[in-house]
Amino acid sequence: MDVLNNLGTGFQTALTFKNIYLCFIGCLWGTVVGILPGIGPLAGIALLIPATFGMDATGAIIMLAGIYYGAMYGGSTTSILMNIPGESASVVSCLEGYQMTRKGRGGAALFIAAWGSWIGGTLGIAGLMFLAPFLANEAVKFGPPEMFALLLIAFILMGSLGKGSFFRTVPMILLGLLIGTVGMDQLTGTMRFTHGIKELYDGIGFIPVAMGVFGIGEILSSTEESLVRQAHKIRFRELLPSREELRASWGPIFRGTGLGFLVGLLPGSAHVLASFLSYTLEKRLSKRPQEFGTGRIEGVAGPETANNAASESAMIPFLGLGIPTGPAPAVMMIALLIHGVRPGPLFISEQPQVFWGLVASMYVGNVILIILNLPLVGLFINLLRVPFRVLFPVILLVCLVGTYAVNSSVVELIILLVSGVLGYLFRKLDFDIAPFILAMIIGPTMEMTFRQSLMRSGGSFSIFWKSPISLVLLGLSGVLLLWNSYRALRPKRASWEKALEEEE
Amino acid sequence: MTKERGGSIVFLAAGIYGLVFSIGLPLGKWNAPGPGVFPLSLSILLCAFGLVWFAQGSVKEGEKREKNLGGLIRKSGTPLRIVGVTAAFILLLEPLGYLLASVLYTFALFSMVSRYRFWVAAALAVAFGAGSWAFFTKVLSTPLPKGALWMF
Repeated sequence: MDVLNNLGTGFQTALTFKNIYLCFIGCLWGTVVGILPGIGPLAGIALLIPATFGMDATGAIIMLAGIYYGAMYGGSTTSILMNIPGESASVVSCLEGYQMTRKGRGGAALFIAAWGSWIGGTLGIAGLMFLAPFLANEAVKFGPPEMFALLLIAFILMGSLGKGSFFRTVPMILLGLLIGTVGMDQLTGTMRFTHGIKELYDGIGFIPVAMGVFGIGEILSSTEESLVRQAHKIRFRELLPSREELRASWGPIFRGTGLGFLVGLLPGSAHVLASFLSYTLEKRLSKRPQEFGTGRIEGVAGPETANNAASESAMIPFLGLGIPTGPAPAVMMIALLIHGVRPGPLFISEQPQVFWGLVASMYVGNVILIILNLPLVGLFINLLRVPFRVLFPVILLVCLVGTYAVNSSVVELIILLVSGVLGYLFRKLDFDIAPFILAMIIGPTMEMTFRQSLMRSGGSFSIFWKSPISLVLLGLSGVLLLWNSYRALRPKRASWEKALEEEE
Repeated sequence: MTKERGGSIVFLAAGIYGLVFSIGLPLGKWNAPGPGVFPLSLSILLCAFGLVWFAQGSVKEGEKREKNLGGLIRKSGTPLRIVGVTAAFILLLEPLGYLLASVLYTFALFSMVSRYRFWVAAALAVAFGAGSWAFFTKVLSTPLPKGALWMF
């Protein structure tokens, strides 16, 4: 009953005119950045951070979260109509969605994608409101050794679930951790790798690095290809799916919800993995798997639902534990910190109006998004008619201004450009970027908890296995390490691993 | 050169940089680990992974051409032009101010990368430069440098 009472209070916050307006702006902007290839939710959120400076924390997070889950809705549009994923999680939708467009069923694919996204998103929020407070209550019991063990297993999971092999992802995590050590040491005040540059005393900014490797890096990669792209036109009446398509979609939508919700709790590119796993599952369950790749609606319904459910459940570790599971939640965390709110175990009990206001606003946002993405999809498709050679300079400007706006620093623009080149290089070299970014933001906490643990125990490592929680987490980490070593040595790959490799 | 070897060079470079600049940091004791422990350990691990990937990255006989980094570098002309123009924008942003710098920046991109004719590129640059300035400063209240054109 507590949950329902709290949700009621949350709706009182979310249903004020101001917060509905902010939720609408977030969802609208999220749909736009999701549709436009190369921007994505990360740049979309970073760009609007300065606009939140005059708002309270609740309004700010309602708008920024709207961009995050709104981008998941919008990302499918370019995948289905242009064979270009607007957002990384929508890569899978290209496989069946674009084939449906070529057969004249693109409208139905868009409808099912939006409908599945709505169901996945709404059920995902229900899971969030029950699980996040529970997780936060448990996490209050965590001291430095438990937190260190939790972060260690998070990194090993990141390595396990990233694109490519575990041992290909680990150096990316190490690189992210090393960059995370730049700046003043939090325990002793010693400067590390700053070379006397004042702007680096607080560390290398997360936003310029994330915007660089994702935004600029993506644009640099995209401009290698032809700058001329074509979008298919969709009429309103073409949006209606046939009875057979609707019937075929129900199963994938509900399976995608469950799968996406569970995968979203894991760190790394969880929403990308969720859509791949859902596609593989649907193909395996299908009576006609040989037809996948020719435009099967199940291949759109499952993955699109899964990535939306994953984007909602990804908020659970972010809000309940203070551990962002992806780059976009990490930017939201920075925005909350700017507003003096620290996500973590005490967040829900200390800031109930922010948490429950956000949860309630996500229900409202999902209704707004289904309206934006179904009857109004034609309006958004017009955005895709703008030639890419006109669009990409504007996207670059958005990334540059979004970065500059946060601290008004040219040094951060230089970091943005260098990160962009690095992101481009890593794309070329087939190394996964998401673990690098996450390691950079979680790394300082990991180092701090490791050192605090040893200080508390007087230098004895036994502190890490004295507590049952850290013992279990470290044990699981060991098992995962062994499993990854086995995976790296064995020649045969699982089907979902093959799917990820094919996407690369 | 293979992609693995290309990656190994990045990891080795970062690892060696980390080693050089963390070696002077205090390591402390086990009961009070110093600020150098974490970066030094990470740098050693990065060097180790860099060496492993370097060894793994030799081109095997009959391997596909797309594994080769050389072919990819040859496709990098347009991205390099964009990086150059963006670097110039960053340098000129504060001296010139956002409005002027963004018009010049988008003009350079429209003419040098998108290959529009001079007048088309100029018209698009003025429209997008001025439009983005109005959107960011008036709608989003984004703080942008005024530069030489103080009135903007």
